[in-house]
Amino acid sequence: MEDYQEYIESGRLEQYALGELDPAGQAEVEAWAARSPQVRQELDELLAGLGVYAEAHAVAPPAGLRERVLPRVLAEIGGAPAAAPVAAAATTAPVPTMRVSASNPRPAEAYPVAPEASRRNGWAIAASVALLLSLAANALFYSRWQQASTDLVAAQNSQARFAQTSQVMERRLSSTQEQLHVLRSPQEYKMVALAGTPAHTSAHARVLYNGASHHVYLDVQQLPTLPAGKQYQLWALDKGKPVDAGVLAANTAAGDSLQQMKDIASAQAFAMTVEPTGGSAGPTLATMTVIGNM
Amino acid sequence: MSDLPLISTPPAAEAALVERLRAGDQSAMTEFYDRYSAALYGVINRIVKDEEEAADVLQEALVKIWHSMAGYDNTKGRLFTWVVNISRNLAIDKIRSRQHRVGSRTQGLDDSLAAQRQAAPDAFRPEHVGLQEITSKLVPEQRQVIDLLYFGGFTQSEAAEELNLPLGTVKTRARTALKILAKLIR
Repeated sequence: MEDYQEYIESGRLEQYALGELDPAGQAEVEAWAARSPQVRQELDELLAGLGVYAEAHAVAPPAGLRERVLPRVLAEIGGAPAAAPVAAAATTAPVPTMRVSASNPRPAEAYPVAPEASRRNGWAIAASVALLLSLAANALFYSRWQQASTDLVAAQNSQARFAQTSQVMERRLSSTQEQLHVLRSPQEYKMVALAGTPAHTSAHARVLYNGASHHVYLDVQQLPTLPAGKQYQLWALDKGKPVDAGVLAANTAAGDSLQQMKDIASAQAFAMTVEPTGGSAGPTLATMTVIGNM
Repeated sequence: MSDLPLISTPPAAEAALVERLRAGDQSAMTEFYDRYSAALYGVINRIVKDEEEAADVLQEALVKIWHSMAGYDNTKGRLFTWVVNISRNLAIDKIRSRQHRVGSRTQGLDDSLAAQRQAAPDAFRPEHVGLQEITSKLVPEQRQVIDLLYFGGFTQSEAAEELNLPLGTVKTRARTALKILAKLIR
């Protein structure tokens, strides 16, 4: 009977995602998410959104950061249970050595036979020598193994870094290619120049319109800076009727890149107005900044 | 536009790394560092705004992550979400403890919106690999709210007070912004 929609609107999920809640509050949100798939989905989206935001702020760390931070971290965690695998390797290594001598039953059997002390000494010396040799060999192999595994880790890391860089580059490249394709296909994309209205003579933009696929791209040359709370919105005029073609992102309005707008089925002209952030259902004609006919 | 590198790490690879960290495998920490440090450092540095201090917090965060690994529950979210929260909390504690907050809060933020507007046109900043893509999806008002909440350590009510906005507006902006961001990795 609980209203999940109301819970979603309450802002608790955002608080959870942003880490504002005390343990009781966290438990409450988790309980909701467990009961309601809608809440779960909303929460996952919020968490993923924050993740994207955080990741977008990744910076190339200053030179020497890795050399400075990583060894200290490894040293700090070295004392804890973390040391287990290395310590285990070190202690298990000599174990076979012990067995080499211990597995020979004779020294043990010889023990109770008192008169054979000299023979026992002989065995003990032989065992010690075998132990020493084996220890030396183990130490050598251990250090080589360590070296090899360090090398491997280093190689894997640099590979991971390359993979990350190339992913970023690929994404950037594909977006550039898309823009280039639009600009270089005059037969597919019709260019519509939007000139400034008398109030904004310096404003210029152009629309690239594909009549077949109905895709619309916008390329801004120059637009006046907007006050806070306002955003440019593009309209297609179809038989005199304005159709919403989407709002301009900040960097599109600044002229940084092309933006794909909403698809438009048919239009004879395009125009741009200034609307409250988020856009309006209908254009505020008094704020028309640019307009152009096809 | 489908994927950012960390969020999109295949769950299997992530689970394997978690397994090794839990098992106390130190080489896993080196791998973890190489995968996640740029993102964690970016967030930390953005909060503490000091490279030296950011390096210290990063170190602290990595040690804490190592020791808290047992408490990570992958049913509650991705590894990245969890570790970035640990780092973020340590960084916010840091700025709170140095009582830096009162000062930077009243000074730095009034002009932050203007600063963001001006920052938008300089196109290519290679150190911010994904930032430009992200910012282009948000209007400055949304970004301002998210920045306060995420990097300033403000609660939603504090942010509302700071920005002189109704609490409901802050909530809506935060939620809309996060949902826009979430769409980027679909």
